[in-house]
Amino acid sequence: MLFVLKTLYEQDFGLFKHAVQRNCYVVLLVLLLIAPFVLERFYIGELSELFIWCIAGTGLMLLVGYTGLVSLGHAAFMALGAYANVILNKYGIPFPISIILAAIFSGLLGALIGVAALRMTGIYLAVATLAFAVIVEKFIGQGGSFTGGHRGFRVENLEYFGLYLNDPVVFYLICLVFLLLCLWFLANLLRSPTGRAFIAIRDSEISAQAMGIDLVQYKTLSFALSAAITGMAGALYAYKIGYLYPETFTIFTSIKLLMLVVVGGLGSMHGIVFGAMFIALLPQLIAIVRDLLPIWVSQRRGLEPFVFGSILIAFLIFEPQGIYGRWLKVRLFFNQFPMYRKATFKRQKSFLRTERVH
Amino acid sequence: MSLLHVDNVSVSFGGVKAVNQISFEVEEGELFSIMGPNGAGKTTVLNLISRFYDVDEGSLMFENEDITNVKTHQIATKGIARTFQNTELFEHETVLANLLTAHHRHKNTGLFGEMLFLPKTKKQELSFRKRVEDVIDLLDLQGYRDQIIGSLPFGIRKITELARAISLEPKLLLLDEPSSGLNPEETEDLSFWIEDIKEDLGVTIVMVEHDMNLLSQVSDRVLVMADGSELTTGTPDEATSHPDVIKAYLGD
Repeated sequence: MLFVLKTLYEQDFGLFKHAVQRNCYVVLLVLLLIAPFVLERFYIGELSELFIWCIAGTGLMLLVGYTGLVSLGHAAFMALGAYANVILNKYGIPFPISIILAAIFSGLLGALIGVAALRMTGIYLAVATLAFAVIVEKFIGQGGSFTGGHRGFRVENLEYFGLYLNDPVVFYLICLVFLLLCLWFLANLLRSPTGRAFIAIRDSEISAQAMGIDLVQYKTLSFALSAAITGMAGALYAYKIGYLYPETFTIFTSIKLLMLVVVGGLGSMHGIVFGAMFIALLPQLIAIVRDLLPIWVSQRRGLEPFVFGSILIAFLIFEPQGIYGRWLKVRLFFNQFPMYRKATFKRQKSFLRTERVH
Repeated sequence: MSLLHVDNVSVSFGGVKAVNQISFEVEEGELFSIMGPNGAGKTTVLNLISRFYDVDEGSLMFENEDITNVKTHQIATKGIARTFQNTELFEHETVLANLLTAHHRHKNTGLFGEMLFLPKTKKQELSFRKRVEDVIDLLDLQGYRDQIIGSLPFGIRKITELARAISLEPKLLLLDEPSSGLNPEETEDLSFWIEDIKEDLGVTIVMVEHDMNLLSQVSDRVLVMADGSELTTGTPDEATSHPDVIKAYLGD
């Protein structure tokens, strides 16, 4: 078992807990940088998509996992980012700038929704954001030649300095850079006053106010940041699929995103990556398993939503802390082997409201 | 001029007059206690001062400034911290993170500085961390720094909440029944800590309390309430021997 000796205050807010952890991440990064040059085209594409889901998950995790506000409308922000970016490209604004502008646009709309949603929590907020998503979808559908209407439009393949954006390796590296930036931003926020304000709002609004945290300001900020990051993911996703139409981002996308953060593990950054793996890889897994199933099962429509739904329910019942929570238990089991006690993670019965541990 | 001036404050919920024309002044450096039977409106007074409730009548002055209508979150910015009767901590966070959150009002960094964790943000974190450590030392919380609140016993949570309120570095500290849920030994420690906070940190304290021992040990003056109204105000001995107070507690 590893014990960390702390001799500096800096160790309390470092990005990594200790040198071993840091080295593991460096190795992972090196592997990810080598990957596009050794893997087959198909797998590079799959990994890029995984990164995009990670970015979108980072956005939603900030809102749901760290600020405690639920959104069922994040597909709308993906759509806004995607459309804004492609339209900006059409008007000649080059790629890295367009995607930042698209994120800002999506973020501003997110702030608007945030202001409107301030008085709502839980299920009411979920319904309100869902309504927003529906409105955005209809709006894009009615946009005429500007948004391509219901028929949509093709996303142009951009070329800069002889590099094509749809080249799998180039696109993979772009997605990786954006993902690392988003994760770094989030990690930095979480070790600063703003991130602590978000968490304070999640855990106790009353206490947050007593600490001088302005609920209006920070809830709006959380919505805006979340929408901006999710919009960025949407813009990248548009390049990935190469064609945009209003049904690209539907309620099912929103639910998938919500599943990402819940199954991954609410309020953990590892959870984002675990959840994204689950979201991005499960359809492939279902496709493989489908061939092995008897025809009367595999030919049924709705097999995928069924499997997704069942897994979500299973997680809510058996592992509310998500994949990351399970991973913590497995790790502790090996760390303390053979001394592991199951009771370590047992949820206690509590009697006072304030004693409640979710 | 006094630090806090509560002037003829009243509030009612529905038909119930929870607080009825209460007035008192708290001098700088004083420990002012509020006692009274259950339902007397003691906690309501604290909630009025910390602006969780709006006053119906009367006014609140803090440092010669009218705070009757300021927003709830601005109370902390003005330098008033509080604790809650049943603790309201950030459950999923460590003790350390809870205390650091209290430094929110001293934050001097912008969003982008924090997103990039610029040197200024780092310096600020370092200074917050040092100041939090002083509070941890003061209240003997060294063993609990990295523990999640949800896993701590109630007594430690109460102390953590007190520590969080002090970390805000307030001029005025509102304590809502600090000894409730503590065992006699912990209450004993608490009385020393409260004196330390008052004497060494120079914080003025308004405390709602039931424990007569603690109350008479640390308070300078006591306000006794019953059914929302004031019975008497005076030193602990004067207040507890007042005939109306004895009547309110023991009946005729």
